[in-house]
Amino acid sequence: MKEGLALLGAGFAIGFGALGPAIGIGLLVSKAVEGMARQPEASGSIRTAMFVGMAFAEAIALYALVIAFILSGKG
Amino acid sequence: MENLFEELKPPVYYSLKVAGLDLSITKAVVVLWVAALAVFLLIWLPTRRLRLDGGSRFQGLVESLVEFAQNSLVGEIIGEEGKPFFPFVATLFLYIFVVNLIGLIPGSFAATSLIGTTAAWGVVVFLLYNLAGFMRHGLIGYLKHFFPQVPFFLYPIIIPLEIISHIARPASLAIRLFANVVAGHMVLLVFTFLTMTAVWFLKPLPFVMIVVMNLFEIFVAAIQAYIFAVLAAIYIGQAVATEH
Repeated sequence: MKEGLALLGAGFAIGFGALGPAIGIGLLVSKAVEGMARQPEASGSIRTAMFVGMAFAEAIALYALVIAFILSGKG
Repeated sequence: MENLFEELKPPVYYSLKVAGLDLSITKAVVVLWVAALAVFLLIWLPTRRLRLDGGSRFQGLVESLVEFAQNSLVGEIIGEEGKPFFPFVATLFLYIFVVNLIGLIPGSFAATSLIGTTAAWGVVVFLLYNLAGFMRHGLIGYLKHFFPQVPFFLYPIIIPLEIISHIARPASLAIRLFANVVAGHMVLLVFTFLTMTAVWFLKPLPFVMIVVMNLFEIFVAAIQAYIFAVLAAIYIGQAVATEH
């Protein structure tokens, strides 16, 4: 029972944990592409900022992934 | 599927314990040594006899690598003051990229899939940017960074927040790289298990996914190395920036 709950928690952790960063990365990339299309000469600096922002958003999903790994190790 | 994590444990070649510390020579340590040698040879061999007329294609490769690191890793982010930190940031990028790439070769080991490896790099970045800040502004000047211009009754809230955000930097650097590599290898392992256990006529489907994910992991290896180096440069840049 306890193991099952741990595995269920692991699934929920990564499932819901990926939700927010997914929306964030989607918004980030859409705005970055918009900016690049409007100002192609600025695409270099926009791309750098986009990748750095994506790294921060993605890190949140990865924290959830680490929690999921810990929980599934208990399962 | 029980032994997914066992695949990510490096085999120990030479067991060595000093004063309670585990200094064993594992496969990960060997991979890190090989990567260091590979980075050294990649830069040193093509640049022994530099030629002005372009030279060999390897010289061109090294030149474009150095130019990339100079412009988009250091120049755009730290600015003029970043020149002393160019070797550190460029080495960080190249070394992490090569370690990640070696980890993708079947039969080798991804040293960055161990939290210890990435945590060590995170701590090195943390120490370096703090040291750079102290050297640039002096002890008092750098400590002023932790006391922003706010009403004094906010200090009990602001100062712990500043300290936590600084401690979180090496932790998030380490966890980002580690979790990205582990997640990529987990996906590869899951598709490998699927290929091994599937009915024969379904075997090609997960196998194609292994190939596709391997290509994606090469992209991830480059992006993660780039992000680690860029964030290190940003932290250094913030520490050495003059007060605005």
